[in-house]
Amino acid sequence: MRPDQPIREQALAWAMLTREPDFADWDGFTAWLEADAEHADAYDAVQFALDEADAALDIMPETEFTLAANDNPPKGWMTTRRAWLGGAIAASLVLALSFIFGFGPQGETLYATAPGETRLIALDDGSTVELGGGSRLAVLDDRAARLEGGQALFTIRHDAADPFVLTAGADRLVDAGTVFDVRLAGKALDLAVAEGAVIVNPEAQALRVDAGERAVRTGERYWVGPIDPQAVGEWTRGRISFEAASLAEIAAELTRATGIVFTAAPSDIRLAGSIALDQVRADPRALEALLGVRVTPRGKGWVIAAE
Amino acid sequence: MAPTAPIEQAYLANRTRLLRFLRARGAGDAAEDLVQELWLRLAAAPDPVAASGIGYMMRAADRLMIDRYRAERQGSLRDRAWSEAQPGLTDNIAPAPDATRIIAARQHVALIEQALTEVGDRAAAMFRRHRIDGVTQRQLADEFGVSLSTVESDLRCAYSKIVAVRGMIDEA
Repeated sequence: MRPDQPIREQALAWAMLTREPDFADWDGFTAWLEADAEHADAYDAVQFALDEADAALDIMPETEFTLAANDNPPKGWMTTRRAWLGGAIAASLVLALSFIFGFGPQGETLYATAPGETRLIALDDGSTVELGGGSRLAVLDDRAARLEGGQALFTIRHDAADPFVLTAGADRLVDAGTVFDVRLAGKALDLAVAEGAVIVNPEAQALRVDAGERAVRTGERYWVGPIDPQAVGEWTRGRISFEAASLAEIAAELTRATGIVFTAAPSDIRLAGSIALDQVRADPRALEALLGVRVTPRGKGWVIAAE
Repeated sequence: MAPTAPIEQAYLANRTRLLRFLRARGAGDAAEDLVQELWLRLAAAPDPVAASGIGYMMRAADRLMIDRYRAERQGSLRDRAWSEAQPGLTDNIAPAPDATRIIAARQHVALIEQALTEVGDRAAAMFRRHRIDGVTQRQLADEFGVSLSTVESDLRCAYSKIVAVRGMIDEA
């Protein structure tokens, strides 16, 4: 912070810093505030102005905002960028639809669902897989499958001589008489077991996850904790739960489950809660009361923000 | 163990630091009351683990003071109707935009758009990506192929105009 800058500019520089989700220099900020009583007043005025601008931009429907941008050339760069993004989303939807039932290499059967869609897959041996929205599953044969992304609830007929093996990301999950739910988001794996048990990576960690337990992989670490067996696979009954989830994770899960496009405003908060999807489908603003967040329409989707 | 225990410990361990911050933020004699109000907010946080972090607590203290400033302004502003039509930051449920708010927002956004034409295409585009699309400063540097300090400088120009727009509205 250059001391020769006018106070308002210093206040603006600090406001920009504290608005970043990873801001950590609270001691430096405190020292600047303590240097002069006028600093706090200037900072408040700047934050207020920025909040007001955010609020105005938030309640403006996107189309009107881009129209305003076009009234004042040069044309907003955002306009073209958004159009491109919209095209990319549409293209990926088409791709998902065309892959709902296809045959991959080595006779695999590929199943893919669009966001908001679920699909029940019956295997020949009587086992079933319920595939969640925005998910991709490759079925190799009755006893082997690969989850490429998204979420699926497996109800597997147990055969000790020929266990069912699921590959999810870098992990191999081997059933031991089982109803279990798997969610794969990027490299993060979340496994919850309702009945029986699942062995994670029998050749490596050989982590046994029993009924009523949940295993979460983040990076190279596995965390095992309790879960209500009744809550396992509750998304198939129209409900999803979060624990210490970021807004981005919540937005991605909701998009996948409902087919309504949610995005997250930058925030470092983490939330816990349980959401009835019917309510969210009927009115995305229902999230505000359920999670204590702000939900605002933007374009064809919704933005979830903290507070 | 009560679920609030870790957050209570974290709050008590940092209470002095939070008090000092609130005083520096202009809380004055009200600092003791405000730190208590801060505790109520922290205790009600949906995720106690996240709320136990010092960054979260300091940010909540900062927000508390910003909300207080807003509340004080609302009593004294000439354009009272405009202010009251804004969703309170302490309200979790934002009311649906009514006609007055939409008109006021349209005017405000038009002024912001006008102001952004004065900072150049790159700074204006960065502002939109940052505030509207939520792209981080580091990502902006990559996207626009410029240094982080250039991003900061461009954004500061844009933000400065946004703050000036608010000043124009207050004077109108």
